[in-house]
Amino acid sequence: MTAATSTPPTEAAASPGDAVAARVRGLRKTFGSTVAIDDVDLDVPAGAVLGMLGPNGSGKTTLIRMLLGLTRPTAGTVELLGHAGDDLPAALPDVGALVEGPGFHPFLSGRDNLLRAAAAEPRLDGDLRAPVDAALERVGLTDAARRRYRGYSLGMKQRLGLAAALLVPRRLVVLDEPTNGLDPAGTRDVRRVVAELRDGGATVLLSSHLLAEVEAVCSHVAVLQTGTLLVAGELAALLDADAGGLVVSTPDADDGILALRAAGVPSYRAEGGVAVPPGPLEAPEVVAALVGAGVAVWEVHRRRAHLEELFARLTEEDA
Amino acid sequence: MTALATRTPTRTTAPLGRLAAAEVRWVLRRPRTLVLLALLALVPVALGVGIALTGGPGGDGDGDGPGLVAQVAGNGLVLPIAALGLALTLLLPLTVATASADAIAGEAAHGTLRGLLLAPVGRARLVVMKAAGVVTVAVLAVLVVAVVGVLTGLVVVGGPGGTMITLSGTTLGLGEALGRVALVAGWTVVQLLAVAAVALAVSAFTEHPLVVLAAVLGGLIVFGVLAAIPSLEWLQPLLLTSGWGAGTDALRDPLPLGDLVSSTLRALVYVVLGAAVTVVRMRRRDG
Repeated sequence: MTAATSTPPTEAAASPGDAVAARVRGLRKTFGSTVAIDDVDLDVPAGAVLGMLGPNGSGKTTLIRMLLGLTRPTAGTVELLGHAGDDLPAALPDVGALVEGPGFHPFLSGRDNLLRAAAAEPRLDGDLRAPVDAALERVGLTDAARRRYRGYSLGMKQRLGLAAALLVPRRLVVLDEPTNGLDPAGTRDVRRVVAELRDGGATVLLSSHLLAEVEAVCSHVAVLQTGTLLVAGELAALLDADAGGLVVSTPDADDGILALRAAGVPSYRAEGGVAVPPGPLEAPEVVAALVGAGVAVWEVHRRRAHLEELFARLTEEDA
Repeated sequence: MTALATRTPTRTTAPLGRLAAAEVRWVLRRPRTLVLLALLALVPVALGVGIALTGGPGGDGDGDGPGLVAQVAGNGLVLPIAALGLALTLLLPLTVATASADAIAGEAAHGTLRGLLLAPVGRARLVVMKAAGVVTVAVLAVLVVAVVGVLTGLVVVGGPGGTMITLSGTTLGLGEALGRVALVAGWTVVQLLAVAAVALAVSAFTEHPLVVLAAVLGGLIVFGVLAAIPSLEWLQPLLLTSGWGAGTDALRDPLPLGDLVSSTLRALVYVVLGAAVTVVRMRRRDG
């Protein structure tokens, strides 16, 4: 296992030659005297599922809006699928987005709303009904497709917004709080769609405040706090860097603790065995001490941090 | 994947015709558009029925003065022109202002403007697409009043053998009379486009459709007040509404074109200014 160091934001996945789906440099946005985004550098590697985390008001949506060209940055540059500056809209046909909740007309049915959206999609040609029906099917809205949007539940509205983002095969899909208002089945559906997108080679940028959600689907994370990027990088590397100690599965937990104490290693009882906090001994030495004392060792693994702990540590120590 | 690649267009924006068609379909399915068009159809009907009920030429002294409406009695083909004049004072501007308010401010309020910008529909194209919807409403609104006006005039009011008696006392045949109605209808459309262009410009600055309606109706009222102040007479050539009496000229024989032409030119200036402000604003607007 490589020794992972915590990744400073400015070097986030910036190894040269890496294909990047989206890149921002020195991005800054102020509204009057309020600084919404303060000098953010971020790369979204191609093929990644990047979860953008942050408390409410941390600037997630503002950052996404600038990335998509909906809001002009006060300073800094945005590059989307290789297009930057005035050329940014040229990337948009390959970008699907659900930003700030679904936006549709209440007097039209879900299907008619999508047909209207499809008419504006550059990548669609000829009969628009087929892609619209396919997108409705994909988000599980086929049965409600002909009902007026006015009567949709919050979750159905959210699903329709997702369908609009998936009308065309995309290279990048940006989902701002996609599971808002969704029931557990809807949340699972979003997770499935994200997995399908990833398997199809698309890059996904997902903002959420549901940490478990991000942990379940994302390969990368970026954590924002009051407009500043605290950390960004591969989720596994970040969690490893934050992790510490070992968890040993053994039926002889009591003997194990005694054996380790004899070897000068503090330990304590954990579920199914013994937990060893980070200490002077490396894993092989800990195992050797246990086995030497006749303790049966079933499994030893590094204790992985949970995103929740990482997030709490990052956002609280900075607050 | 290759089969898909050959089928998938590489253009970066959807064809303008498809965008405009989608916009017109959207406008015509919106309930409020249909309600306003129905209300507009009622204007000539109510006018015609009222005149048919209250009496013949000369009127029975209903106190409204010798207005255009009085001329309609027994002279049905004047009805569409009178109805257009009447609707132009409030209901027609309200109709195009509503369409303009929904076109940009309303879309922003529903979060659908974002979707269009992300598609992407280029910002200049978006203005053209929106204008297509608003122009459709303006033309339809005027057509409804004119066509229902002609039918009501011929059927309910009747006239001297399908002819029109002009204000100058001469008589025009059916063909020429309909030509005069068409002239006023076209002129009214241009006046409405001036209102619509200004309304679209306001719409580009706000996400509250009511602001657009208030601005347009408030503007019409302010123009009316300014026009009524004698010391501000020098303002008259600048006010859109000060040319709105010119429609009546179509009932004179021979046709005096002066006011019709000058009010049309004034309206076109409003159209150009409104369109320019809309385009400039939409280029920078946040989605």
